[in-house]
Amino acid sequence: MSLIEIKDLKVHYPIRSGFWNRVTDSVKAVDGITFNIEAGETYGLVGESGSGKSTTGKSVVGLEKVTSGSILYQGKDITQRRNRQLLDYNRDVQMIFQDSLSSLNPRKRIEDIIAEPLRNFEHLTKDQEKLRVLQLLDIVGLDADALYKYPHQFSGGQRQRIGVARAVATNPKLIIADEPVSALDLSVQAQVLNFMKKIQRDFGISYLFISHDLGVVRHMCTNIAIMNRGRLVEVGTRDDIYNHPLHIYTKRLLAAIPDVNVSERAAHRAMRQKVEQIYQSNRHDYYDDTGEAYPLVQVSPTHSVALPPELAHQLLAQESEAQD
Amino acid sequence: MAENFAQHSNISAADLDRLTREAQAEATPSTARIIWNEFKADRPALISLFVVVGFILFVMVGALFIDTPKMMETNIVNYFNRPLTAGFPLGADAGGRSILLELIVGSRNSIGIALGLTVISSTFGICWGLISGYFSGYVDWGMQRVYDFMMMLPMTMMIIVLVTIIPHYNAVTLTLIFSIFYWEGTSRLIRSRTLAESGKDYAAASLTSGTNRWKIIFRDIMPNISSLIIVDTTLSFAENIGVETGLSYLGFGLPSQTPSLGTMIANANDPNNITQYWWTWLPAALEIIILCLAISYIGQVLRRAADASQRQGTAD
Ligand SMILES: Nc1ncnc2c1ncn2[C@@H]1O[C@H](COP(=O)(O)OP(=O)(O)O)[C@@H](O)[C@H]1O
Ligand SMILES: [Mg+2]
Repeated sequence: MSLIEIKDLKVHYPIRSGFWNRVTDSVKAVDGITFNIEAGETYGLVGESGSGKSTTGKSVVGLEKVTSGSILYQGKDITQRRNRQLLDYNRDVQMIFQDSLSSLNPRKRIEDIIAEPLRNFEHLTKDQEKLRVLQLLDIVGLDADALYKYPHQFSGGQRQRIGVARAVATNPKLIIADEPVSALDLSVQAQVLNFMKKIQRDFGISYLFISHDLGVVRHMCTNIAIMNRGRLVEVGTRDDIYNHPLHIYTKRLLAAIPDVNVSERAAHRAMRQKVEQIYQSNRHDYYDDTGEAYPLVQVSPTHSVALPPELAHQLLAQESEAQD
Repeated sequence: MAENFAQHSNISAADLDRLTREAQAEATPSTARIIWNEFKADRPALISLFVVVGFILFVMVGALFIDTPKMMETNIVNYFNRPLTAGFPLGADAGGRSILLELIVGSRNSIGIALGLTVISSTFGICWGLISGYFSGYVDWGMQRVYDFMMMLPMTMMIIVLVTIIPHYNAVTLTLIFSIFYWEGTSRLIRSRTLAESGKDYAAASLTSGTNRWKIIFRDIMPNISSLIIVDTTLSFAENIGVETGLSYLGFGLPSQTPSLGTMIANANDPNNITQYWWTWLPAALEIIILCLAISYIGQVLRRAADASQRQGTAD
């Protein structure tokens, strides 16, 4: 059984107007997505900004009121508040936020920030609690003198470490990492990703790793889902996505990864222009008449793509020809 | 599970004391310290603070030693005594009553009402704004309609009507009546900041850390808008001194047998008093001007302390 099973999840934000505050329209932030996260793995959720990744993440951690669909954890649907309370759900599922500054209460000292989940979910003595906080600081590579400081006194990378320490505090099974390194410098990104991996090994945590950048996800994730305007357009293993992408949206995301290799920069640019051209001329093949993504079809045991079945298999055939 | 953490970290219970002490040495000053430093860096503000606090304490304590009914007795012998005559440092009014004593008791009444009004209406307005802003949706919608309704009522007229139809009222009932109409401004201000704060990730993080919503409102969000609350409360205190004063001046505040700054300024309604017997109204008018200026100066310093980029105090 998977750690978490997300089934046909929809989150629509109502747009209200008028004196009676009636719902007149809705934003379909997440529009029917299905995937499972296995224990101990890192599952990547990738898409451009506004595609509904954060909304998905927040639904999984229980912060968002979902419109329909279910999220099963230990056989219970945790989209219901009662079930979350029954399971002490957030003891097992935590979140790391994208904006490290706004995710730490500026009026609280670091000790109180990290101890917050401990105080609510575990009943430790004062000394046990302080010891745990100091150990957590040590695990994320911060000195003990951080204890009585405030968040604004730390750099972005250090703050993200504090956010990780808080998420890890109750030894959870799953952590939703919502673009944890997007706001950081490249050099700091690598550091934070590395110790996130180390923590994963040490504590056996699963991640739902959200990013807009396929480059960052490459070294973290075993399975990846590509999200486009509230729907999944391609789901597969790392190999499926990076080496055999089928959907034009995935190809565009791959083409957008910055190339560090200077000598191949021209070739990279040509490739990107080619993808962009295919996208512009063949868009109608990849999306239905209303501009929405098609339902997913399976093309291999691990690989699914949101295309009409004929097109999917045609592209798959082309793909394998090109490989040979 | 505790072993799990101990295993992956080099810190053990033996280090606890030493590390705690080290961390305390590096601790950052609290908000109260920052505000105090800001006052120390601004001499006029410090003086204002002492003047306001000292004056309020003086009239509160001083009024305890004054027998008000006796003081308010008419004594025709002292009719419009000039200031600095025996027993009348600030002179006397048309009833031969000492202006100085009236001023002390009147200040106590006016400031007391203003304080009571500020405490009640600000507390209510802050809670209303916090709750409305945090629980968006139907709760917010309903609370905002109540707000709209209250704003629609003509405030001064309603107070005058209520004061007229309630047969016996005193300082306490008057304060309560005022409070019904003075929480709205605060609530709107607090609501808009609460909306912004509760959208921030730290509020979400507290929720996933298992903290309950009421605790998030009052222990997480409220401290983050505390500077706004302090500044708004200070300034509404200055404003509220004017509320009772204004109505008493018009004759709808405290009964005429109860002295207040407003009834004293009402002496200026008589053209004779304005020029000839200036001491009957000038002290009260000056007192209000000085108090309000000093309080809003204090409010400015608090605002500056709240906004890190404008601080003049050195320690941080
Ligand atoms: N509280 C909200 N009310 C209305 N629309 C929202 C709200 N939150 C997000 N959205 C909309 O939902 C869509 C998806 O947002 P989000 O999940 O934040 O995307 P991502 O994290 O992929 O950038 C966006 O179009 C955004 O404008
Ligand atoms: Mg996002």
